[in-house]
This record gives sequence, C-alpha cells and structure tokens, in this order.
Amino acid sequence: MSKSRPTYSPLYLDKTGKRHLIVSDTAEIPAEALADGVTPDMFDERWTIAGHSKAIPGTERGAVADHEFRSMNHLLIALRRRLGEEKMGFRLYAVGAEGFLWEVRTAAVVVGMGGGEVQLNQVGSQARRVFCNHCRTITEGVTTNIVECAGCGANLFVRDHFSRRLNAFAGFQVDAEEPGDIPEIEEIYR
Amino acid sequence: MSIAYKPDETFRDDFVYSNSDTAILRFPFPFIEDEYMYSVNIEPHVRGGETGAFEAVFDVDEHYIAECRERAMVLEQDPNRCMVLPHMMTAQWDTLELIMESLAEDYPEDFTLEKDGDAWTWTNRPLGIKDSFVFGDVDSLPLEPFEYITRQAQGDFTLQDQRENNLFMDGGMVTTQADWSLEFDLGMSFHEWHGPVPVAHEINVFDRALQYLLRLQYGNPVRRLNWTMTVNPRLDTSPENYPIWGPDRTTLTPENIGGKLHLRVELQTLFRLPRSNAILFGIRCYLASLDELTRVPKWGRRLHRVLRDLHPEIAEYKGTTRYREMAVDYLSQFDDGEPTSPGIGPDVESL
Repeated sequence: MSKSRPTYSPLYLDKTGKRHLIVSDTAEIPAEALADGVTPDMFDERWTIAGHSKAIPGTERGAVADHEFRSMNHLLIALRRRLGEEKMGFRLYAVGAEGFLWEVRTAAVVVGMGGGEVQLNQVGSQARRVFCNHCRTITEGVTTNIVECAGCGANLFVRDHFSRRLNAFAGFQVDAEEPGDIPEIEEIYR
Repeated sequence: MSIAYKPDETFRDDFVYSNSDTAILRFPFPFIEDEYMYSVNIEPHVRGGETGAFEAVFDVDEHYIAECRERAMVLEQDPNRCMVLPHMMTAQWDTLELIMESLAEDYPEDFTLEKDGDAWTWTNRPLGIKDSFVFGDVDSLPLEPFEYITRQAQGDFTLQDQRENNLFMDGGMVTTQADWSLEFDLGMSFHEWHGPVPVAHEINVFDRALQYLLRLQYGNPVRRLNWTMTVNPRLDTSPENYPIWGPDRTTLTPENIGGKLHLRVELQTLFRLPRSNAILFGIRCYLASLDELTRVPKWGRRLHRVLRDLHPEIAEYKGTTRYREMAVDYLSQFDDGEPTSPGIGPDVESL
C-alpha cells in the first residue's frame, strides 16, 4: 500500500491540445500503452529510441513525424530544448520504464507544463531506481525486495515510497538493527 | 520566570540528558484517554491549556541551548537536513518574522527584536547572538532566513506551499525527526509524504486533515500532539543515520528499559504565513524516559494501557515491535487498575 507510488493508465489523445508529441524509450511505440481506439499515427510526432549509435533524428520539425534517438539521454536533450520552444496547446505523452517517465515529466514541469498536459504510462520492466537514504546513491534496475547499495554497500530494503523529484524509491538498510539479519531476497519487480 | 538552561546536555554518544521536575510536569503527555487511534486531533494553538508546553507560541525549555548545539552538529555532518526550494523565499522571511516576534514576546528576558522600518536587530541572549539586518535582504544575514532562525529554535520545521488545492512540502529544517527524510520527501504533496503511514489512509484521516489545513487562516494557528518511542534520548533518529541508531533497539533489558526507553512526543503546530500564503509546520520534539513519566501516577497507568492495547500495525510503524512486550511488562507495575481522569494533564502539582 502506497500513496506516493504513481499509478498509470493507457494514454488517450487529449482533444483540447493542438499538437501532440509521444516519446517512448523503445524502438516502437508499444500498442498496449495506448487506450482503445488510439493508434501511434494519431500523434503529430513520435520520438523513439533506436538503441544504436548511428540513430539520428530528423532536422525538420513537422516534415518528418518519426524521430529516432540513440538513448534516453540523447532523447531527453532534444526534448528539453523542444519544450522550451513550445507554446500553449502542446501535449506531451511518454511511455516506457518508470525512470524514463519521470525524467520526461520533470523536464515538462520545469517549463511550466501542468498536470493535464503530460500523460505517462509505464510499460515494460517494473524495475525500480532505489535511493539510498544513508549515502544518497541511486541504484538502477532493481528487481528484488532487497538490494546492495551501489554506493555504500548497505543491504537496502526497497520501500513502496516514491519521490518524483528524485525519480526513485526509498531504500534503507534492512539489517541496521542487527547486522547480518537479512530476510530472504526475492525478485518481485520484473 | 527565567529558564534554568542545561547547556551541557548531549543527545548522542554519552547521552547526558534528563528532565527536571518542572520539565516532567510540563511534559505534553499525548494520550487523552487510555487507548490510542489516529484521529484529526487538531485544536487552536492558543497560549495556555492542559500542559505548560502550550504556554508559548514556540516553546522554549531547559534543553534549548543543548538542542541548538545538537542541530548545528547535525547540519555540519549533513547540510541537506535543511533544504528550501527556490520559490519559497517569501515564506522564509515569513518564518523568520513569526519566530522572532513570538520568541521576543513570550521570552523577553532571553530574546529581543528591535525594528526601525526594515532595519531589524535580533538579540538571542541564551545563544549569545546579536545581528542587525535588513528584512527582505538575503545578503544582510549570514544564512538564508529560514536556516538562520530555525537554527535558533527547538524542533523541526517544514514549509508547505499551497497550490492546486494541495500542500507541497517545499522546504524544511529537519534534524530531530522520528524516522522520516526531508531530502527524500522534499517537493511531495500531502498524501505522498504521508504515504508510508499505515491505517490512517483507510479511515480518511489525511483527506480530512488536508481539507482542514487548506482553509487554515492567518492569525489562527492550530496544534496537535503525535508520539512514538525512542531508545536513548536521541534527537536525530533520521533515516539517514538509521544504521547508527537502529542497533539501540537491541540494547533494552528489563533492568534498563525504565531509564533507556523514552516517550517521544511531537507538539505539531501549523501557521498560515502572511505574505507567501504558505504553511509553517512546527514539529517540536519532547523526550522523557519511562521512569520520568511514571513519576506521574496517572501517566504511568495510562501509558501501560495504551501500549498494551496498541493496534499492531501502528505498533509496527512506530518501530516498537522489538521491545513493546518488555515495555508493557515493565509498565504494568505502575498500573493499579484505577480509573484515570480524561485529558492529558498530570493531575498533580509537584512530584
């Protein structure tokens, strides 16, 4: 039970918007991320991550609807620039892993986009980013209930408490009270 | 009446800490009856009431100097215990004004605020501070206003920005907390930062509390008491330092529990701030050992009953699982089964 863990739902096309950009952390927009009746071609632009070092987006906005990027960071650099140039009526949609979604969301909030103007839907891996409350290192791609911190090495229990600002779940040392007293480790966030 | 400060007290390592008879009698005992459940137990924060801790806007007691030194040590070791988002600067000045004016009014022997337009002079005699500055000019103070003034107050403080019909925790000074992290929770909405609290969400406590707080009026602050338990008189029971204080929980024995286990009470106060429309949340921490509290017969009886009958999930959340049975056994000797009077007052005038 968590009141800070975000919930997601399939993306619908917001008819109050004039221009619609969908970004995904995969090579294809996953159909299951979209609401019934919504298809990728309904968006004005589709930005995806091809995952190879020669991928390059087009240079002419609007002329080409599909733009490919090399990585999440490559896409986010372009997205931040783009968001700074957009005006009222722009709608942003993101699908992918949770870590990607909140990078996108933060970029949008920075330029003043409000709640309804950005839609997020998590698809694919449920792996978590975990913030160590003790040493402040984020451990990526955590699929287990307990994980060794990439910074200080503590055995972190992954709490169901999510910070949108840090884009991470909280982790605390599970055996702090009795060192070595570690519960069974299970894979629960695939 | 002047306060007999105990400047050499410590809240870590050797734990040199105790409550005088005066401090015990004015302790804000949090249980109004013999059982405990979460509720929206908010009342107007007016001077006076069932405990001496309610006599001032910001209570100053015999631990003041030592607590300010402990805060400075925590900040030296971990500067991120004080964080304020950039859009909260007006709320920072609101906080400085409120705390300075209140301390100067409630404790004129110890604190003085002189104003000549925006040219202010602040004198804090217990800490030996005298600074002149221009209200509203950040560069005229040695620190940003919120950190400057909350280093000179007991208890933690957070700043809540009000927007989108919600409250967002957009700043704080948090060095004496009951196991929650400002750095992690910074920027969260009301329901988000209360996410980990069990049971209360299901009985809609937070929905109702939020609706109440959104309507909080300037000039009409409110308060409530909250509680947990802490082994040793340790103020810094932060998640950040859990590896350091967590092992304390394994050190209790039936022989030492009376002196080592402390009831930790938070006097929580909420103030609407005038310029920013933000809310200042004060979380003033009081610690008293079982042996100190049971010197008040009513409190000994009641603490035994509350702990014995505590909802299991709340007991777990408050971190008492490891020692609750031992504490209940120990406290049973102070419970003769007699009825207790309603309310939190000690019912005795001396110990």
